[in-house]
Amino acid sequence: MSESGLLALVQWLSPSFPLGSFAWSQGLEWAIAEGHVSDRAALETWLGDLIDHGGLGIDAVLVARALDPGADHEGLAATARALAPTRERLAETEEQGAALSRTVAALTGQALPAAPLPVALGRAAAPLGLPAERVVALYLQSAASALVLAAVRFVPLGQTEGQAALAALAPRIEAAARRALETPLSGLGSAALGADMASAWHEDMEVRIFKS
Amino acid sequence: MFDASVPRLQRVTGRAEVTLLAAPGRAARLDRLAQAGSAKAFLPRVHAAAPEVVFLNTAGGLTGGDRLAYALGLGPGARAVATTQTAERAYGSTGGRARLEVDLDIGAGAALDWLPQETILFDASALDRRTRADLGAGARFLMTESLVLGRQAMGERVTRLELDDWREVRREGRPVLIEPLRLTDAALGDRPALLAGARALATVALVAPGAEDATGAVRAAIDGLPDGVVAAASGWDGKCVVRLRAADGWPLRGALARLLSVLRGGAALPRVWQGAA
Repeated sequence: MSESGLLALVQWLSPSFPLGSFAWSQGLEWAIAEGHVSDRAALETWLGDLIDHGGLGIDAVLVARALDPGADHEGLAATARALAPTRERLAETEEQGAALSRTVAALTGQALPAAPLPVALGRAAAPLGLPAERVVALYLQSAASALVLAAVRFVPLGQTEGQAALAALAPRIEAAARRALETPLSGLGSAALGADMASAWHEDMEVRIFKS
Repeated sequence: MFDASVPRLQRVTGRAEVTLLAAPGRAARLDRLAQAGSAKAFLPRVHAAAPEVVFLNTAGGLTGGDRLAYALGLGPGARAVATTQTAERAYGSTGGRARLEVDLDIGAGAALDWLPQETILFDASALDRRTRADLGAGARFLMTESLVLGRQAMGERVTRLELDDWREVRREGRPVLIEPLRLTDAALGDRPALLAGARALATVALVAPGAEDATGAVRAAIDGLPDGVVAAASGWDGKCVVRLRAADGWPLRGALARLLSVLRGGAALPRVWQGAA
């Protein structure tokens, strides 16, 4: 495994990479505004449920399948779009995925058509030669980190409390990454009705900071 | 009365298939009806522009190892409404999972309202359901799927559950809507990202050219829903998707009746739904 591959992946998933991830909350802003996520424990529950039973778990499988040798990336992108539960969740994954594809293509010369974020990331990372489990785990950590940042700004939550929530999720991120490697697309599942509804209600919020 | 605690030894299998074709100037006509085992289908006489197809599981419920399939095909330009005779019941399993396959083939320019009654999930039930709709160019598809966890009035509580309820809509072979609902023991309970303590839940989806335009009217109807039911709607790319949560099956039924009326231009629900508020 090459250090340069790991460095590239960490760069693409860092907050300084221009995906605009700070602008999206997957409906978390609505949950905070309604008081459902008001402290560190509630944030951990919300994020842990997205990883174990919701959209982040689905993203993990999409990353893993996009890393597979010979993956049908066009088909995966179509599946990822169809899985988006709301208009804003589709915009969130499409806009960030397009930005990632565009920027990585400019840096590496790879041909990377726009795709929803997990598919775009898996496709871009495939040539790096990293263990798939590591790519999926770092993807999940980065996605959870962006949501922690949203909570720190908007709950508000102390920086250390936010980071403690993220650190506490590490075992669940690892387990979800391992599960994702073994999960075919036909094995996807979500119970995150509340998060999906939060995203739909977010579309209707009159005052909002985040785009989802 | 069926006792959910007594294992039924005989496996239930069945398959019912119906095909309807458009008839110029008249309601679509039956082209084919085939049924085997515990799955039946019939077309009650209705005074409406679109015929009604009613599917039925004569075994009265599903448990581990049962296999049931419903299939409905609409030829190009045909219109129909399809439903189930009663609520489906998934009883506690003493081993294995029940499987229910629903295949809906909706030809170019055809229109189907798929309005099955709710599925009641009993404690320790294990159900795999796959609902697939294949739409031709310009076809219109309205779907509702609702689930009730036990019956509150009977004091039933569901703490053990294995449900995989995959809903997939394709248009001209490409996936346009996938909802892979999975409810397990670990996902039950009162957590805001999940069921938030709800015992009844539903998804209503309209997939049609311009379907997103219905979102405003749907949101207005949601604002008028009674207490005990919450609903959220989003519209984009030829879809309008509404998700609902309720304390129990009965208020959910009433809310569904209101929303479906908005999405169906005021058309009455199939008669088997009678009793919905």
